[in-house]
Amino acid sequence: MNAAPVVKISGLNKRFGTGPRVLDGIDLEVSQGEFVSFIGPSGCGKSTLLRLIAGLTSASEGRITIDGMEPEKAREKMFFVFQDATLMPWRRVAENVELPLLLRGDAPAHRHERVGRMLEIVGLAGAAEKFPWQLSGGMRMRVSIARALSVAPEILLLDEPFGALDEMTRDRLNEDLLSIRSRDPFTGFFVTHSVAEAVFLSSRIVVLGANPGRVTAVIDVPFPYPRQSELRETPAFLRLLATTAQALRAVRS
Amino acid sequence: MNASLRPRLTACLLPAVTAAALIVLWYVIKAAFRVPTFVLPAPHEILVAAWEERAFLWPAALVTVRGALLGFSAAVGVGFLLAMALGFSPRIKASFYPLILVLQMMPVTILAPIFVLWLGQGLPSIVAITFMIGFFPIVANTTMGFISVDRNLRELFVMCNATRAQEARYLRIPGAMPYFLTGMKIAGTLAPIGAIVGDFLAGSAQGGVGGIGYMTISYFSQLKTPALFATGLVACLMGFLFVGGVNWLHWRLLHTWHDSMVKKE
Repeated sequence: MNAAPVVKISGLNKRFGTGPRVLDGIDLEVSQGEFVSFIGPSGCGKSTLLRLIAGLTSASEGRITIDGMEPEKAREKMFFVFQDATLMPWRRVAENVELPLLLRGDAPAHRHERVGRMLEIVGLAGAAEKFPWQLSGGMRMRVSIARALSVAPEILLLDEPFGALDEMTRDRLNEDLLSIRSRDPFTGFFVTHSVAEAVFLSSRIVVLGANPGRVTAVIDVPFPYPRQSELRETPAFLRLLATTAQALRAVRS
Repeated sequence: MNASLRPRLTACLLPAVTAAALIVLWYVIKAAFRVPTFVLPAPHEILVAAWEERAFLWPAALVTVRGALLGFSAAVGVGFLLAMALGFSPRIKASFYPLILVLQMMPVTILAPIFVLWLGQGLPSIVAITFMIGFFPIVANTTMGFISVDRNLRELFVMCNATRAQEARYLRIPGAMPYFLTGMKIAGTLAPIGAIVGDFLAGSAQGGVGGIGYMTISYFSQLKTPALFATGLVACLMGFLFVGGVNWLHWRLLHTWHDSMVKKE
């Protein structure tokens, strides 16, 4: 993983209007294939940082580049998974997954084949013709992930996607996300409140402090991929969990 | 009795019982106070009058339905397009919406003679009046629909580099449908009323046939009270026809997904 950085953030400041700085002096370089989690107290700007990388909002000072390009110009390399599933209630599951392919003008045959494969990967092949209201919260999130993966993004940005789900569903989806990633590799950015989730998924954890949001610690997670659920019970995992929790607590006090 | 059948039976039975009770009360009042028929006809006298006057009422109803349908369609078409323009550009909305409100505040009884001045007696004026009555609820509701698009969904389209046309087609128009249909429901109940009021104020019997509004005036002046009541009955049926049509459309377009239609266990 010594590739050149895909995402380069330097001297990044962000304020909304004339308000106080939400993010202050963020410097970060992320290489291809990394999985980076942003964790921190509410209001530390972790979601804003993700939106900045996506080009959904722009920096007040400093710069973000994706493969040397402005985020707005690099959108075809990226996809965003929102906090709630953000599905279109009038489109069936398959049609929701198909949407990004449709918007970029892929041929129907290719769309069809791709959608089928994505739904299989997230384990929802049988739900293709259902409407979002017929699915559980966990299933809706799977659809959202399938939709994001349909365009095979190089960079996947996930904004607390599993925050509203129960712990069992969340653990399951964490494992599924990693197994998907082992087949269709992407560079991941993941915002979360959950220390366990961050440690299980990430190759690197960036701890942010609040008011203003600053990087207070960067923790490397040495466990090799693919990771299985048993990893969660190993002493090394639990030690790292403790380290991360301490880093987070240091921010809060 | 089957438990799932009971609520449906109640839903049909209760209004029928209430209606029957009111009709009985009607007869009782008429008999007790010896109300003459030219003041208050008995229900059966209204039905008899409706039958006897069918040669006049049926063509009149057709004329009114035609006016209502044309005015309603114009309101739906123009209203939707205008709402789209208002919803897509805050600047257009800021420029035009207050003026539309001003127009809406203008009572249709005042607009009617103006339309007659411009368009003359007859169908064009009636259509214009119906249009004016149905147009605002459609614009107001549909504009709201175009504006209240889920923010995340909009950002999803941004992430996909979607064009404005794609955003309209795949996001805003389907998202605005429930609002559009709500506007259509309101306009649908108003359309026959608009056509009758229009007929009342701008109708003519040119070519031998006036609408329901025209017949109302005619029966009133002749003191044919049962027939006058019968026009009310016809107007009522027309209202149900329009609302039924819109409800059917509502079901067609939304029954698969919208909260107002799907049954959740």
